[in-house]
Amino acid sequence: MASHDEEFTMLFQEFYPSLCRFLECLLGGRVELAQDLAQESFLQLHRTAWETLPHEQARFWLYRVARNFAINEFRKSHTRYRLFDRVVEVMTPRSRNPEEEYETTERKNLVLTMLRTLPEDQRVALLLREQEELSYKDISQVLNVSESKVKVDIFRARAALRERWSKKAKSYGAGA
Amino acid sequence: MNCDCTEKISSLIDGELSPAEANELEHHLLTCSECQEAKADFLNLRSRIAEFPVSFKPVSQREALERILGKQKSARPVWRWVFNPAVAAVASLLIVGAVIALLIYPKLKSSQVANREIATVNSNRNNQTPKSGPATGGNGQLNNPKTAPQKKSPPPAGTEKNKVVPNKKRPPLAFEPQPDNIALNNSQPDGEAERVRSADAETMTAIHFQKSELLLRSFRNVRLSKTGASSELEYERKLAQKLIYQNMMLRREADASGDAQVASLLESLEPILLDIANLPANARSADVKTIKDRVERKNIVALLQVNSTALARALD
Repeated sequence: MASHDEEFTMLFQEFYPSLCRFLECLLGGRVELAQDLAQESFLQLHRTAWETLPHEQARFWLYRVARNFAINEFRKSHTRYRLFDRVVEVMTPRSRNPEEEYETTERKNLVLTMLRTLPEDQRVALLLREQEELSYKDISQVLNVSESKVKVDIFRARAALRERWSKKAKSYGAGA
Repeated sequence: MNCDCTEKISSLIDGELSPAEANELEHHLLTCSECQEAKADFLNLRSRIAEFPVSFKPVSQREALERILGKQKSARPVWRWVFNPAVAAVASLLIVGAVIALLIYPKLKSSQVANREIATVNSNRNNQTPKSGPATGGNGQLNNPKTAPQKKSPPPAGTEKNKVVPNKKRPPLAFEPQPDNIALNNSQPDGEAERVRSADAETMTAIHFQKSELLLRSFRNVRLSKTGASSELEYERKLAQKLIYQNMMLRREADASGDAQVASLLESLEPILLDIANLPANARSADVKTIKDRVERKNIVALLQVNSTALARALD
């Protein structure tokens, strides 16, 4: 039992930060909620699946559950949190250096804003690929879809973001 | 966008092409500037998304793990902070007291109104009863108690001062103060009081946010010395002590009314107020700095500012 807990602790320490980040991006920057849902996902794993699930599958299981939690939460509280989202958009963690702080905030906001424009399927697939570096096969396991769908979703997400980014760059260029 | 290899480039940078396909595409890339551009853009996108910083605190990670391994009912912390049990007990008592006071006060007020009305009615009846007695003086109905109250006889001149105008229009028996009548009579004022309380709560929350914002700004500006910051902290400490109870009440109210945003902000504010309120007179610089850091990390000042403005606008 103790070794089970040790293994679980290792898994938690390894994947909790990245699960938080994944959820934060998925939820459009709601840090606290992302952390709550990450914890809820680990709790579910510990309670229900840890004894029976092959441990190499635990990571995929976690991302799948976390994504489901996020979708539920997003649908449930979409209206209620609109103002809060706007506040969070502006308010992001600060560093000591104001310039550095401003740049970090801008970078984060830009990524969050861009990701928010993507359909949920594409956003999840892209995040799992770019941040978690999962293969198409792994992503298809997490999302329970075919590899070809994952491939298409990721490509479409990239193409859409590329287009928006270039438009943004052009508008900055025109403004300057 | 004439070249249709961009989808393959997406797979190429993910390492999902077979060696032969990858080789072929690499050759193509040498000559196609459009595909080179797409590859560069995709890689640029990747670095932007992959560099997204993780916003979590190692302390909260440790706490979360302990909660999960401790097999608590929910991983979502109801209280994000642990505080002195004595403070918790006092705070709980105060909250209970405040809630009871809030519940009882309007009822007391309405029962006072009802009592006043009963008293008025009774005094009126007392004034009216004797008029059918000796004061009316030998009109034949004097000794008939059944008919006496039904007669509309003019009030005696001597009771003019005690006369109540509304009672004059209604027959005396209609004034019998039944509990239902009292409730009915008071239902409207109660409703109004409810609305007033709700508007008051929003106003109080906006004012509370402004006060807290000022407090935290002032606290942020406290200068730390090697020996401590005792003299400068006196004001902040006292203000925090005043604000903490109000914070708890408002948070409960926000929770009850389902205003998750305000409740969440008040919940974040509470431990900070408690920490400031509990700072000893000779607080160490390190303690003060820790609280300052937390205030900074949570961006609480800015959140208070935004929310107080939003609430003020909503009230306008």
